[in-house]
Amino acid sequence: MRRTYLGEFEEVVLLMVAILDGEGYGVTVSQALEEHTGRIVTFGTVHNTLIRLEEKGFVRSELGGATTERGGRRKRLFRVTALGSRALQEIQQLRQDLWQLLPPNTLRLGGV
Amino acid sequence: MQQTPPRWAHWLLTQLHPDNTLEEVEGDLDELYTYWYRRAGPTQAALRYLLNVVSVLPPFVLRRSNNKQQYEQPTNMAMLSNYLKIAWRNIVLNKAFSTINILGLALGMACSLLIFLWIQDELRVDNYHANGPQLYNVLERQFYDGKIRTGKGTPGLLPDELKKLFPEIVYAAGFTGSDAQLTFAVGDKAVKETGRWAGADWFNMYSIPLLAGTAETALNAPNNLAISRKVAATYFDTPQQAIGKSIRIDNNRDYQVTAVFEDLPDHASTKYDFLLNWQDCLERNSWMKEWGNNGPRTRIMLRPDANVANLEAKMRFLMRKLDKKLNPKQFDIQLFLQPYQEAYLYSNFENGQQSGGRIEYVRLFGIVAVFLLLIACINFMNLATARSARRAREVGVRKVIGARRGLLIGQFVGEALLLTVLALGIALALVFLLLPAFNLLTGKHVSLNLTDNTFWLILLGMTFLTGIVAGSYPALFLSSLNPVRVLKGSLKFGSGARLFRQGLVVFQFGLSMLLIVGTIVVYRQVNYIQTKNLGFDRENLIYVPADGELGTKYETFKAELQQMPGIQAVSYMGELPINLGSSTGGVTWTGKDPNVNIQFTQTSVGYDFVKTLKVKVKGRDFSKDFSTDTTNYLINEAALQRIGYKDPIGQPLTMWQRPGKIVGVIEDFHFQSLHDPIQPLILRLAPNATQTNILVRTQSGQTSQAMASLESLAKRMNPKFPFSYQFADAEYENLYKSESMVGELANYFAFLAIFISCLGLFGLAAFTAEQRTKEIGVRKVLGASVSNIVGLLSQDFLKLVLIAIVISSPMAWYVMNRWLQNFSYKIGIEWWVFAIAGLLAIGIALLTVSFQSIKAALMNPVKSLRSE
Repeated sequence: MRRTYLGEFEEVVLLMVAILDGEGYGVTVSQALEEHTGRIVTFGTVHNTLIRLEEKGFVRSELGGATTERGGRRKRLFRVTALGSRALQEIQQLRQDLWQLLPPNTLRLGGV
Repeated sequence: MQQTPPRWAHWLLTQLHPDNTLEEVEGDLDELYTYWYRRAGPTQAALRYLLNVVSVLPPFVLRRSNNKQQYEQPTNMAMLSNYLKIAWRNIVLNKAFSTINILGLALGMACSLLIFLWIQDELRVDNYHANGPQLYNVLERQFYDGKIRTGKGTPGLLPDELKKLFPEIVYAAGFTGSDAQLTFAVGDKAVKETGRWAGADWFNMYSIPLLAGTAETALNAPNNLAISRKVAATYFDTPQQAIGKSIRIDNNRDYQVTAVFEDLPDHASTKYDFLLNWQDCLERNSWMKEWGNNGPRTRIMLRPDANVANLEAKMRFLMRKLDKKLNPKQFDIQLFLQPYQEAYLYSNFENGQQSGGRIEYVRLFGIVAVFLLLIACINFMNLATARSARRAREVGVRKVIGARRGLLIGQFVGEALLLTVLALGIALALVFLLLPAFNLLTGKHVSLNLTDNTFWLILLGMTFLTGIVAGSYPALFLSSLNPVRVLKGSLKFGSGARLFRQGLVVFQFGLSMLLIVGTIVVYRQVNYIQTKNLGFDRENLIYVPADGELGTKYETFKAELQQMPGIQAVSYMGELPINLGSSTGGVTWTGKDPNVNIQFTQTSVGYDFVKTLKVKVKGRDFSKDFSTDTTNYLINEAALQRIGYKDPIGQPLTMWQRPGKIVGVIEDFHFQSLHDPIQPLILRLAPNATQTNILVRTQSGQTSQAMASLESLAKRMNPKFPFSYQFADAEYENLYKSESMVGELANYFAFLAIFISCLGLFGLAAFTAEQRTKEIGVRKVLGASVSNIVGLLSQDFLKLVLIAIVISSPMAWYVMNRWLQNFSYKIGIEWWVFAIAGLLAIGIALLTVSFQSIKAALMNPVKSLRSE
């Protein structure tokens, strides 16, 4: 099974990039993380994760969109690559398959 | 609203965050800071900002690798930096060769720079006046006795007359030809000052800043006196205070200070500390008022639109009109003009035509500078081509990859330029260090003026020229190599390149030889001058100006002085015995051809003249025992020859309508520079000692006692005047200052030339020895001795040096012979001069080469033959 390993946090960040749909960069990704998951992480964590994702080929980036509020500096905007979206879908698929295998009542017992 | 995060935290980020992601991270954090600031206020924002900055600093941050490798398009810069890298590696790889090259070039350049500074300084002399191009000196061509003599002296009335006659002349001023030493007294203070007399227009003509007074009134009345800032400071507090004050000169007349001028700059050829009015000069020297007498200089300033040739034509025969007694058949005078700014460098005249002067030294040194630089360039060319085998591969590879020939030439010339620039740095440091010594030697005040544009231009020009000359041959040679042959490894250089190298070595040593011969000849001539028997004894002879009481009470002074220790004899003389300048044609004798005008040098002397000067005499000296001696004459042998008496003693001679007899004939002695032959001389007896120089002959070895006697007596008898004196031998050496300077400079230059040549030879020998390592090994194995091999390696170079000697000797002879023509009394250039110079060149070359060849010969053949 030749699949690149995707960590839990990586997966969340990759999802955020996908959600932001071309508007994803350091700030928006970390704000989205906070907003949707309530997790507050340092910027460095997000930054490193994005770099790692790009190295693994799940996202690609380009520089652009300089605005005055950031002193005219360019952003590095991320998009999910084909490999990235397949990885997300595969994870989703795997989870669904696994949920199917779950005996009924198992979770309901311990869950509520 | 834009909020700015804490500056130091931001600074930390810019310093430590990886460069390739800095921009985006900076921007992101800025945006986040603004967000936090709005949400939680400044403190929270700052804290979070700091925390997040730390999270993106090493070691926490990941480095974004440039894995999307954008292959950089190679630019010109990349290629240039490659050239630079290769050049640097080559310099570092061959430390010995690089050192030889850079050192040689640096020495050559330092020398050239020094010479350039000297030349620049020479060209600046007298070249700073605002009216410079309009200033002219009036000179005389005198035709007599079948000769043409050019003189700077003119009649004292000429300046004013010229101004009256020619509208082209705006200003005209007389100027005395030699320094006067006068005693200035204000109150109790009395000091000797040096100065001259000048016409009223003086300060209008020359750009000499006046600190007080005006140019118009500075010298327009007989008792006017203009003094320099230095003199003003000696007697008064400020220049302004000096104005209107009176100064007593030579304890007999008071002069009013009417102007204070700035001390003359270093670039003034004649320096004076005071100027007196021209009327005063004519009053003191009534002979100047006669048209037949020449002495003072005439300086004029023309209108800017004046036609110089026209004016010269108009004034050419003016003297025939002004001087009624002038008989053009016997003695004719033509006036002509010399631009004032040229006068310093072009001071010599021959047959009435300009024939050089100091400009010859300027040219000579200019040529020497070029030679030295050329020798250093040749070192570079030689070593670069000799080692070309090593660079041949590089050239091959570059060509295969696609370098065109032009680019390769550029590369190698560029390398030469790089080396030259390195050398230039060292050269500048050397010049900086050597300047004080150089100034001492040349008597100049040259400095490295870094704000001077021409200096930088010359520097730039010199660097480029040197780099291109040095780099051109190696560049052309290397770039012409055929890449296929080079890369196949069968590289064989033709004999052409070797022949060229040998030619260069011959050229180098030829130049060195030229300089060595030149040095020896100049040194011997200077030595000859300094030790020549002048016909009188210049050792132990002191001149004391007969000021004040010393002149009027001379007899008492002499009588008392002769009693004192250390004094041998005392006399006096109108001028100084080494520098008699005044001449006259007013001499008649029985049997004189009326159509011939012979100029006799003349001066006046006192009793005991022969004894004091220690000249040899036939007949007798002037003596108090003969009352008629006041109209009698002493003549020298040259004069006797022109007069033609068979038995001269007691024969009649008339000078200036004063009939008298010849009482003695003195053996010719040199009373002028050795550049000129001994002129006929007539000595007359001066009625008294005022305005003369007292000559004191001291006992040898007792100079200090004699000086003490002299000083105490002079101070007692003549308290109003400061005691001053000159030593005859020191004054004599002063006459040949420029020759001694040239001699000494030539010494250094010859040494440098041979040193730089040897540097090159050393490098070349090292290279040859290295190339022939295998050959030497084989020879040694077969039984060659060390001396065999040293001989083998040395003879190649010796041959070259020998050829250089043979070629350059006649050239050296020709050049030095021309230089010696300047002297009437000179050494001959003998064959052994060339022998010594040649042996020296061979010796030094042999020494240089043998170091390398012995090293090569002593090498163990096993080592050199083991590999392969």
